[in-house]
Amino acid sequence: MEYLRTVKYESELDKKFLKEVVKHSECDKILECIQCGTCSSTCPVSLYMDYTPRKLMAMIKGGFKDDALKSKTVWICSSCYSCTVMCPAQIKITDVMYALKRMAIEKGVYSKGIPTPVLAQEMSNIISRKGRNSEMEVVTRMMLRTNPFGMLKMAPMGMSLFFKGRMEIFGEKIKNLPQMRKLLKGLKEAK
Amino acid sequence: MSNCRIGVYVCHCGSNIAGKVRVDEVARYAKDYAPDEVVISREYKYMCSDPGQDLIKKDIKEFNLNRIVVASCSPLMHEKTFRNATADGGINPFFFQMANIREHVSWVTEDENAATEKAKALLIAAIHRVMHHEALEKRTVHINPQVLIVGGGIAGITAALQIADAGNKVFLVEKSPSIGGHMAQLDKTFPTLDCSACILTPKMTSVGQHPNITLMTYSEVQEVNGYVGNFKVKVLRKAKSVDHEKCTGCGVCTQKCPMKAPNEFELNMAPRKAIYTPFPQAVPNKPVIDKTICTYYKNGRCKACEKFCGPGAILFDEQDRIEEIEVGSIILATGYDLKTAESLPEYGFGRYPNVFTAFEFERLVNSSGPTGGKIVTREGKEPKSIGILHCIGSRDKKYCEYCSRVCCMYALKFSHLIKEKYHDCEVYQFYIDMRCFGKGYEEFYNRLLKEGVNFVRGKVAEITDAALEPSEEGKLIMRAEDTMIGTVRRIPVDMAILCLAMVAKPEAKELSHIFSCSVGKDGWFTEKHPKLAPVSTASDGIFIAGACQGPKDIPDTVAQAGAAAAEVLNLIQRGEVEAEVVTADIEEDLCSGCRTCVELCPYTAITYNAEKKKSEINGALCKGCGTCVGACPSGAAYQRNFRDEQIYAEIKGILAV
Repeated sequence: MEYLRTVKYESELDKKFLKEVVKHSECDKILECIQCGTCSSTCPVSLYMDYTPRKLMAMIKGGFKDDALKSKTVWICSSCYSCTVMCPAQIKITDVMYALKRMAIEKGVYSKGIPTPVLAQEMSNIISRKGRNSEMEVVTRMMLRTNPFGMLKMAPMGMSLFFKGRMEIFGEKIKNLPQMRKLLKGLKEAK
Repeated sequence: MSNCRIGVYVCHCGSNIAGKVRVDEVARYAKDYAPDEVVISREYKYMCSDPGQDLIKKDIKEFNLNRIVVASCSPLMHEKTFRNATADGGINPFFFQMANIREHVSWVTEDENAATEKAKALLIAAIHRVMHHEALEKRTVHINPQVLIVGGGIAGITAALQIADAGNKVFLVEKSPSIGGHMAQLDKTFPTLDCSACILTPKMTSVGQHPNITLMTYSEVQEVNGYVGNFKVKVLRKAKSVDHEKCTGCGVCTQKCPMKAPNEFELNMAPRKAIYTPFPQAVPNKPVIDKTICTYYKNGRCKACEKFCGPGAILFDEQDRIEEIEVGSIILATGYDLKTAESLPEYGFGRYPNVFTAFEFERLVNSSGPTGGKIVTREGKEPKSIGILHCIGSRDKKYCEYCSRVCCMYALKFSHLIKEKYHDCEVYQFYIDMRCFGKGYEEFYNRLLKEGVNFVRGKVAEITDAALEPSEEGKLIMRAEDTMIGTVRRIPVDMAILCLAMVAKPEAKELSHIFSCSVGKDGWFTEKHPKLAPVSTASDGIFIAGACQGPKDIPDTVAQAGAAAAEVLNLIQRGEVEAEVVTADIEEDLCSGCRTCVELCPYTAITYNAEKKKSEINGALCKGCGTCVGACPSGAAYQRNFRDEQIYAEIKGILAV
């Protein structure tokens, strides 16, 4: 039997992580977290999370970068903003979740085996290409990357949706694509 | 007892009693039970009301009554009311007895018949008892307006100034050579970050110069005799070996003295001389000679201080002496100690040089401290990381079960002071709970959160220097469970600060004997009531203030000192107090001199007269608790109005129904 070391050495932690998250989320109130757990108890999906939102805040403050970025929690977050509304320290927890999602995708360390980050990525790609989302394309791309055999199971439902006029095979494009690309470019540069 | 003419009054208390007890039946029963003695028996809606009391007064005159019995609520509520009514009617107030048929009957009995029967039994018992009552006279005791305050910390200083400012003479006794107490050692005070010395020293100076305050430093109380208003106190004035009348406080003697000893004020981190003042702002700012260090007292040579002393103030031959003072009230403000770090070997104090106690750190960070305010390790290096360990000895049944209340806040203050000096220094707080309960305290905690201090919720079990990887080499390793994250962490630091438990002074127990007050299981002085009499003790005229009653921060200590001063001023203003009348006494002929009562008396009211070979009770000290009466093997001790015949009469009455 293999024994795993679970003790954290200070040398394994990243003391700059907190600053990074503050920068990405524009929320310096993370520092003021008093670990009350209101976020976790108000969260409707915290029971599916590997770390509760409260724990995640502690990990950010403690410099537990790897664990936080690989966490499933941020992908399970449904952005209902309940935690942000309830937080007594007024931490914008949902914004922090988004910041962690972006950082995880940028560094490519997001939790594998969860479709949500792939979905987010593909959707972002399609929109930057066409200016509008295409359900058919985003679902196909996501399924191919995460669960190709699942497509067979989903096919009948896809057909029904298609015949009812609820899904288009070729998605729409917006009229003035160059203008939107210019906009996106501007945003990227501003960042 | 046919000469007794008793008036009986049964109260309805609205529906409180009458709703359960058939009061008319009870009143009639009393009259029928003893038609010769019970002259009049009435029931009335509210006996405590003015018309109710007038009824008693009128009946006494009209029917020539000489005993009164009221069946109503608890004596704690209205015994005094009815005693006064009885006295106003013209008979001795102790010819009165109360039967409690509300708390003891109507409120706790379901069945109406049972309640009525029980009310009858209690009323008849009271009737039987009152026939045996004896007349007692009220006594008053004069209050000497002089006050003794023991302990010259912030509590003693505050109380002394308030009482002295009101125009009363205060004797302030302090064990060490200067007043100031622990507060003088602190650097800043939370949460406002006022400089401790800056707010304390003006008060110290006021004490030193106050015409109404006699400062007795380097002194200890040895014996207290007497009672509220009239205490005789023996104070041991330890020999200072310096005539403070002549001394100008120039400090030449200290400069010239060749002998060095560890400076207690600086937690032994700096030396002091054999002739010394404990710290620069000391009051009085005049030195004393430490006889255990001074070479003159060892081998008769040196006398450097005497040679250089201009005014000739050195008195090598001065002896300890006893001074007797008379005071009317006493405030105990003897303060606290920190638990010794050596008693918790797991934290390595003494073994690892860079483990500091909280007080050591206070001195380290203080600009007049041994390092001039530089936070450095014992090797003189700037620390890159510091761990602050909460609850060391506190909240621990092995040591002190209680919370020391101030550690969370001063730990936060330490973090701030470190961050102020070394912005990049990593500060870790290892805590169980953050208890920031006072005004502005939570806000201070929030401020420290923003300053980027690391809060690790988990207690460090031990400090070790055993490195398990290169980054831990040469550091002190804190191993703690981060219970917020759910993992055990190893955090290497350059310096560890132990927030040690506040403990009672070791001499508190002895003091409690001297001052006839009690200490609890943790050694803190016990207040008369935790909520409603927080600065009073079981002994009248003796009050407590500050941390000698339990761990306390400065605001609470000052508030308590003010409360104790108010209690004292209340006594002085009244000028006299009524003494307890229902006291115990000893039948001299029956006393065998066994002294059982002397040991048991909680008010030290009983002394043994060796000449007569009898125990004697000081009526002024006796509170009438009855302990001696119960304990006396020969039945010599008795309590007025609780004599055997009175108790037996009461029992007989209860059994009569």
